[in-house]
Amino acid sequence: MNDKMKTLKRVQMYSFCMTEATLYLDTHPTCKQALEYFKQMRMAYEKAYDEYVRKYGPLKASDVDCDAQEWTWIKGPWPWMNEEGKKNVEL
Amino acid sequence: MWNYEKKLEYPVKIHNPNPALAKIIVSQLGGPHGELGASMRYLSQRYSMPNNKVIGLLTDIGTEELAHLEMVSAILYQLTKDMSIDDIKKAGYDTYFVDHTAGVYPQFASGTPFTASTFSSTGDAIADLNEDLAAEQKARLSYDNLLRLIDDPEVRDPIKYLREREVVHYQRFGEGLRSVLDQLDSKNFYAFNPSFDKKK
Repeated sequence: MNDKMKTLKRVQMYSFCMTEATLYLDTHPTCKQALEYFKQMRMAYEKAYDEYVRKYGPLKASDVDCDAQEWTWIKGPWPWMNEEGKKNVEL
Repeated sequence: MWNYEKKLEYPVKIHNPNPALAKIIVSQLGGPHGELGASMRYLSQRYSMPNNKVIGLLTDIGTEELAHLEMVSAILYQLTKDMSIDDIKKAGYDTYFVDHTAGVYPQFASGTPFTASTFSSTGDAIADLNEDLAAEQKARLSYDNLLRLIDDPEVRDPIKYLREREVVHYQRFGEGLRSVLDQLDSKNFYAFNPSFDKKK
C-alpha cells in the first residue's frame, strides 16, 4: 500500500469512528464518554484529512487549491475506479 | 461518500397552510420530472461516463438535486403543517391524507408512487446526456406550470429558485454533451454507442 492509500485509509477509519459515534450520540446525547470519544476521533480525523488534502488533492470540492492552474476537483481516479477504470477515463 | 449539512440550499419560509398546493407540488418530489428521479438519474449514470468533466458534473448536479429534494420536502411540510380537517376536505387532499396524513411521500401529483421507470441509465454517455438535457427542460416546465397555479409569494419564491437551477443545469449538461461528442473520432460521426464499443 502506498502512502496515498495509507493516508486515505486513516481518513476512512477516523471518519467511520465519527459516523458510528454520531449514531450512538443521536440516541445518547448526554453520554460524556461518547462525547469524549467523538472529540478524540474528530481530532485524529482532521489531522489525517488535512494531511491527505495537502499531499493528494481535494476530497470535497471546497478543498480545492485555488492557486493551482486548474480546477483539480475533477481529476481522476474517482473513488469507485480500479486501475483499469482509470485508464478508460483520461480527459 | 456523502455528508449532511443542516441547512437548506435556499430558504423556505411559508406561513399559510395550503394542502391544495401540496397536492400538486408533491410531483416535484417523486413525480415523473421530480427531484428524487433527477438525483437518482445522475448519480446512477455517472459510472459509465467517459471523461472527468461529465463524471464531475453528474456527481455535483446529482448531489445538488438531493438538496432540492430537501427543499421540496420543506415546502410540502410547511404547506401541510397546521391544516385542519376542513382544509383537507376543501382542497381534495383527503386521498393523500388517508394514506400519509401530513407525512412527506414521493409520488406523482396523480398519486402513482415514485418509480425508477421515470429515468434511464443506459451505459451510453450520449444517450444518457441527451436524456439529462430533456429531464432538465421537463423539470423546468413543471416548475413553470406550478408558477401558473400558485399565487402565494412565499411559495413562489423557492419554486422560482428551483426553476432557475434547472436552467443552469441544462446549460452545463449541454457543455458536458459537447465534451463527449468532441471525444468521438471521425468514423463515429453518427455517435452510436461510443462508451461500449471503443474498449474492444
